Amino acid sequence: MASLELKQLTKKFGDFTAVDSMDLQVADGEMIALLGGSGCGKTTTLRMIAGFTEPFSGSILVDGKDVAGIPAYKRNIGIFFQNYALFPHMTVFENIAFGLKIQKLPKAEIAERVSEMLELVKLYGMEKRYPRELSGGQQQRVALARALVTRPSILLLDEPLSNLDAKLRVEMQVEIKRIQKELNITTIIVTHDHEEAVSLADRVIVMNAGRILQVGTPKEVFDDPNSAFVADFMGFSTFIKGSVKLELPDRLIVECSGHDLSVKRSVRDDLREGDNCILAIRSENIAIVPEDNMENRFVSGSNEIYAQENIVKGRVESITYKGHSTRVEVSGCFEENVYPAPNDYTGPGAGGELRLYFPSDKLCIYKN
Amino acid sequence: MRDKRSNPFCMIVAVLIMLFLVAPLVVIVIASFTPTALITFPPKGFSLEWYGNIFSKSNNFVSGLLNSLKIGLGATVLDIFIGVTAALSICRYDFKGKNILLNYFTSPMYVPSVCFAFVLLQVYSQVGRVPGWARIFIGHFIIILPYIVRNTVSVLHVFNWTLEDAATSLGANPVQVFFKVTIPLAKPGILAGALLAFLYSFDEVALSSLLSTPRFVTLPIRIMNYMEMSFDPTLAAISTLLILCSLILMLLMEKFVGLDMFMR
Ligand SMILES: Nc1ncnc2c1ncn2[C@@H]1O[C@H](COP(=O)(O)OP(=O)(O)OP(=O)(O)O)[C@@H](O)[C@H]1O
Ligand SMILES: [Mg+2]
Repeated sequence: MASLELKQLTKKFGDFTAVDSMDLQVADGEMIALLGGSGCGKTTTLRMIAGFTEPFSGSILVDGKDVAGIPAYKRNIGIFFQNYALFPHMTVFENIAFGLKIQKLPKAEIAERVSEMLELVKLYGMEKRYPRELSGGQQQRVALARALVTRPSILLLDEPLSNLDAKLRVEMQVEIKRIQKELNITTIIVTHDHEEAVSLADRVIVMNAGRILQVGTPKEVFDDPNSAFVADFMGFSTFIKGSVKLELPDRLIVECSGHDLSVKRSVRDDLREGDNCILAIRSENIAIVPEDNMENRFVSGSNEIYAQENIVKGRVESITYKGHSTRVEVSGCFEENVYPAPNDYTGPGAGGELRLYFPSDKLCIYKN
Repeated sequence: MRDKRSNPFCMIVAVLIMLFLVAPLVVIVIASFTPTALITFPPKGFSLEWYGNIFSKSNNFVSGLLNSLKIGLGATVLDIFIGVTAALSICRYDFKGKNILLNYFTSPMYVPSVCFAFVLLQVYSQVGRVPGWARIFIGHFIIILPYIVRNTVSVLHVFNWTLEDAATSLGANPVQVFFKVTIPLAKPGILAGALLAFLYSFDEVALSSLLSTPRFVTLPIRIMNYMEMSFDPTLAAISTLLILCSLILMLLMEKFVGLDMFMR
């Protein structure tokens, strides 16, 4: 119910810059996922937006107006704290009702809205318990309910689902998304989990050391990270060093440890012949070429592939069963080991040889 | 209890220690009912004479008690405001010398009360005409402050300040945050400190005996004076009443805060 804009927002603790000239525009009702390693300034950013700490410089605009002079309690920004911050002297009910009581709503309405929330976070019947009588995941859901119940115009969620089991987490994701869309709450959600970010958010931001590295739609950031760092963060597992051998209009030929790989050019790259580069690819995009198939015509996933290039021979080092896929460690292709992860691995065991195919449109290339 | 089994030797030692702690009290309580003018144990008969004696006007125990209560409660209440404010500013803000400030506020605890009384007497004689109650009140007000500061700090030291942020984000203004979150959570420490402070003031002898004037005497001083004149069971009776009061106070405290606050 409000748009949010950060302009050159900076926070320093002594000499240390925790958030560095951050620029960001969040549209009314948009959901943004903030991703980044531990200590990169995510919580600090949220605390500045909520008004708990003063920025060192820069400004925060809500609906186009600078909020610098507005005290935190008047900002109507809901926040879920990373450490939950439940009031230990209040029951679950009182915790959730706190904001509504401050607003002096009638008792009946408070009771109704709290029970609505309890239903939503699946804690019905626990309203009389104290936080210390709840499990970590239950506390987390109480904190979530408390942040949502006041229907804030901006919602800041600092890792709200980190403590839940996989099933509950997906259910809560759905609920958060539903409420957020229903009430049209502008939301920033911090998460360590790139899959959560991609499935929840309209846009994803990747941060490192207080700076924004990439902002984009989940698909852009997931499929086409703009740097090797972001690629690493977004779950790319295989990184290969090389140098550009030949520039063609639509692709580059990159030499990696004696093998030539053809890489589709992206709009971003400004690589020239002779430049050192890093190639990145997701495990699931590396295909294993069946050994008996000398024509290199095979099916990988749902695609029929006819590969003429980008096939490299290697040796299986280890095989790890991962449930939905199998992680195979392969050496000898390049200097670095590579990690294909087929759904259904039927190739040779450790020590055996196999051939891997690196699709040229799935390889991301970065300057090194 | 972690284990149901118990070592008989440990049991015996524990029982002996408890007896050792309680026995003198039991003796006093029983002796307070002696009909004779000399304390004898076991008492020969039963009488409430000495209890009546406490309340006889000429002995001034009641006025002493009232004086003690006035001083103790007044100083404690005033110190709660000052001590809690001090503790909050020390714990909430990060600034140079916060430890020095904490030590400053708790220093009256380490200064021998006789030295302290000596200094106060000097000041009073410089100022001149300080009323009797004020002479003792000022002394007590200063020496009991550390108990409130220390107990409050011990709670605030581990206080999760994000709780204040949480309340703020839910729309509570600073006053509401203070009364709905900070104070309720610091309350055990504040109450424990207040109780200790009050009890300290209530049976303080050294400072009071040096500062008091004949016209304004607290209960412990009155008891001491009485003891110098006579040694009849009135003292046992008054001790019994005081033990009873302490017991009631402890039970109330246990009910409202939990005694584990004192174990810190
Ligand atoms: N009050 C403070 N004083 C000094 N340094 C601080 C303070 N708060 C945070 N920092 C530092 O600022 C940096 C960013 O902290 P922040 O809490 O924003 O990280 P984060 O991205 O939320 O990390 P995490 O994912 O681990 O929660 C960290 O290096 C941290 O040590
Ligand atoms: Mg954080």
